[in-house]
Amino acid sequence: MDTQYDVLIIGAGVIGSAIARELSRYDLQVAVLEKNLDVCNETSGRNSAVVHGGFAYDTGSLKAKFCVKANRMMGDLADELDFPFKRCGKVLVGNTEEDMAQLNRTIAQGQANGAAGLEIIGTEKLHELVPAVVGKFAMWSHNSGIMDPFLFTVALAENACHNGAHFFFNRNVTGIFRDAADRYHVQTAREVFSSRWVINAAGLGCKEISDMLGITGYRVIGSKGDYIILDKKLGALLPMPVYPVPSNTYMGVHVTNTLDGNVTVGPNAETVTDFSYYGVPQGNMDFLKESASRLWPHIEKKDQIRNFSGILPKWVDENGTIQDYKIEIRDDVAPHAVNLVGIESPGLTSAVPIAAYVVELMREREAFRPNTSFDPVRKGIRRFADRTPAEQDALIRENPDYGEIICRCEKVTKAEILQAIHNPLDIHTMTAVKYRTRCMMGRCQGGYCQMRVEQMLEQELGRPAADIRYCRPGSWVLAGKVRE
Amino acid sequence: MMQTYTCIICPNGCELQVDMMKDRRTIKKIEGNLCPKGAEYARQEVQDPRRTIATSVLVQGGVLPLASVRLSKAVPKNQIFDVMGAIKKITLQAPVQAGSVILFNVLDSGSDVIVTRSVKAGGQNV
Amino acid sequence: MMEKDVIIIGGGPAGLAAAVELRKKGIEDILILEREASLGGILRQCIHDGFGLTRFGETLSGPEYARRFIDEAEALHIPYAVDTMVLHISPDKTVTAACRDGLKVWKAKAIMLAMGCRERSRGALGIPGERPAGVFTAGTAQAYINMYNRMPGKEVVILGSGDIGMIMARRMTLEGARVKAVFEIMPYASGLPRNIQQCLHDYGIPLYLSHTITEIKGGSRLQGVVVSEVDGHMRPIAGTEKEYSCDTLILSVGLIPENELSEGAGLTLDEQTKGAVVDEHFQTDIPGVFAAGNVLHVHDLVDFVSMEAEQLADCAASYIRGRALAPCTIRVAAGSGVGNLVPQRLSGTEAVTLSCRVRSPQRDGTLVVMQNGREAAVHAFKRAVPAEMLHIRIAAGALQRQGDLEVSMK
Repeated sequence: MDTQYDVLIIGAGVIGSAIARELSRYDLQVAVLEKNLDVCNETSGRNSAVVHGGFAYDTGSLKAKFCVKANRMMGDLADELDFPFKRCGKVLVGNTEEDMAQLNRTIAQGQANGAAGLEIIGTEKLHELVPAVVGKFAMWSHNSGIMDPFLFTVALAENACHNGAHFFFNRNVTGIFRDAADRYHVQTAREVFSSRWVINAAGLGCKEISDMLGITGYRVIGSKGDYIILDKKLGALLPMPVYPVPSNTYMGVHVTNTLDGNVTVGPNAETVTDFSYYGVPQGNMDFLKESASRLWPHIEKKDQIRNFSGILPKWVDENGTIQDYKIEIRDDVAPHAVNLVGIESPGLTSAVPIAAYVVELMREREAFRPNTSFDPVRKGIRRFADRTPAEQDALIRENPDYGEIICRCEKVTKAEILQAIHNPLDIHTMTAVKYRTRCMMGRCQGGYCQMRVEQMLEQELGRPAADIRYCRPGSWVLAGKVRE
Repeated sequence: MMQTYTCIICPNGCELQVDMMKDRRTIKKIEGNLCPKGAEYARQEVQDPRRTIATSVLVQGGVLPLASVRLSKAVPKNQIFDVMGAIKKITLQAPVQAGSVILFNVLDSGSDVIVTRSVKAGGQNV
Repeated sequence: MMEKDVIIIGGGPAGLAAAVELRKKGIEDILILEREASLGGILRQCIHDGFGLTRFGETLSGPEYARRFIDEAEALHIPYAVDTMVLHISPDKTVTAACRDGLKVWKAKAIMLAMGCRERSRGALGIPGERPAGVFTAGTAQAYINMYNRMPGKEVVILGSGDIGMIMARRMTLEGARVKAVFEIMPYASGLPRNIQQCLHDYGIPLYLSHTITEIKGGSRLQGVVVSEVDGHMRPIAGTEKEYSCDTLILSVGLIPENELSEGAGLTLDEQTKGAVVDEHFQTDIPGVFAAGNVLHVHDLVDFVSMEAEQLADCAASYIRGRALAPCTIRVAAGSGVGNLVPQRLSGTEAVTLSCRVRSPQRDGTLVVMQNGREAAVHAFKRAVPAEMLHIRIAAGALQRQGDLEVSMK
């Protein structure tokens, strides 16, 4: 294997994938090293999936700057990369005078940040927008929206791959060494990758990688947020995300509509030191239900189809105060290394401007030749469920595999699952199929289709049952055969 | 002595009280059964508990990888895992016909192993 | 658009029994739509015996029970389409389905819903903890082992004492897995007593009542579960936590009628049964749309599924022939101690059998059907558990033409 690269990106979350795509505009050998078996298995895929407006961040911060910029470009990006995005707006709902004052401050801050479409609305307008909400008034952000974080990251990564970037999964970086010629040697359990540039886009692992680069002293804490997912039945009651009035550091438990009609409830914010534990305790589920019910009283246990959690890496100073993003090239300590620390919310929204900024910093130090064959357009898997009956019929006639429904809850067909199994990034976990097709995401949670997907993976890849993985390394699905 | 059994003959699952001698040979009284089959079961259960099992055998060249099988009649309870062992060794070639006996008098138990599901020859299509 | 007298959605025990009976009643133009590659429904994976004692007077395995109906349907040349998934039914009885040939649309005089049920998942329970691989519903594990020749795991804990869970405890033990225990949150088992005996006790598998899983552990594959005792309100009791290491968790925590299509058609569903509200003709609130079997209410025995579907066929045949079914304006409600009552509406002019379940185990009890302050029917029993359905026969003459009914424990 050729392990000599121009740029090595550590981390295939939304940031690493966006950077890979930005760099694939240039004539560079780019590789992405990811410790998990797929893109966006950590912070990027475990969040509210909201496209933020940019009003909630300190004026002048990178968070504000990138978020406002990203919000404006999201529509075009979604068209170019074919991922689901909806500019549905969102409301921050208040009741007290204090709330009103805070919302007015939020609007002022948003306007200073350059965010457009922010206004205070009264009860009547609020209930016109979201009839099922409880509250007296709200701040309405017209330009906020929702997206599919999996498909966004997959789209960025696939387009980068299409334009020549290489992705390596199950590669946990264990050490980084710089030789006398200023080349970096990045060690994984399997091999050593060597490169002129290294980019730390490791998300929750940003401090470790920063330390490996010799840039020490960062303090990164994890802020864990738990979520509950509600059945699609509830989707009709929530046309846009509903938030409480935010404090300076925490957006509060909110209810968010998803593009597929589900509702997510969360997150709480708990400081954690274990960045790999995603368990959701009962007490937190009770807290989420209780908090969010004050805004939107439709959360019933019978409608819960799943819970999940995510962890945000937050860079804090010695007092524990959360800092802005740190995106730096320390020419003194680690030349030709871009160090990204504390990329938390609104990182999902801001990924592409962050990536563009990273490339800008690199180009200040080195001229890159353009990749003349760069193609910005990426097409996703055509979904059966989204089409009209006439279109569905045409799809089946074009490819009969579209006539075999494998996931009955989400109406995912064999054709889509086959495309997901043979994805451009060559990822073969069960969740890879799940995130790319919505198969197993419905109310039966894979009770019906999981074994069909597993069997198709075996058949398509020619692998024994015991080699199929669910999500993370070691997540075997089956012990083997009953009869050999 | 008194002992309680749950009848497994039908879904009623009668709770059977059996009054018997310590040697478990002489049964004095059986109560709690809604039908005569319950008394019969209790007697059998006290003296010679038997069970039937259902499992599968490997099929080669069939539309399914397995054919389900059952026993023609119950075998002594303590023989169950030995009978399983004997069944596990069998491999059939498709087509397989439901009702066919694939092992006569398994382990001398007097019970036959019978296929309960036909498997046609062909590529696998579960 | 193709026209049909009756379209039966689902080729499992309910759909097959209805099809055969409809044909015997002289209805020719029948079509069964089945999403799987073969007929038989869930029975295909239920290889254990114990089916058929009521319907056929002998005990059969699931595939054998299904075969009897499939053979009969084939002998009667009843048309069916497999690998065909119904996507939508509309109130005007248009059925849209996907298959490899394209999207098919039929217009039916009558539709029979026979989609069966599905299992409650972990999410529906909201079990706290991580989300590793190795958590399966009992039916999924059953399909893997009995149909796909795949072993889900080796060290097993089972949550819920439903029948399929207990049957899988035995099945996995026979195949060499170590089943450590079955935990049930209720103070009584939700499955049949005979399965506690022959699936658990026989194999030395303990059943812990009033216990539940309060945490799932493992970031990749399941590593263990934390189990707690619960109090009378099913709340975990602090300090009773005990950890069990296991690589597999089997959930047997209840079945729910498969009513995606019914909801799409706008049918009224019953809060308790989670199936459609039907009258004594098994007709839903859309005339000509009938439902029977597990899609209507989850049954204890397949025998009753078949028999219910056969009964439905009587009424559906009359409807298809254009005969008016007696209007059903009398409502039947479940009173104290009773649940899952079907049917919910009666005519008051015909004899009818109500089916229901007790809410908790009972001994020497009596169910009473009251109408207008008088007893319309009484059903005494020696023993009843929530796992089994009870059937109350009401004679035609016992009912008045008006006045709602209530069924309760006396």
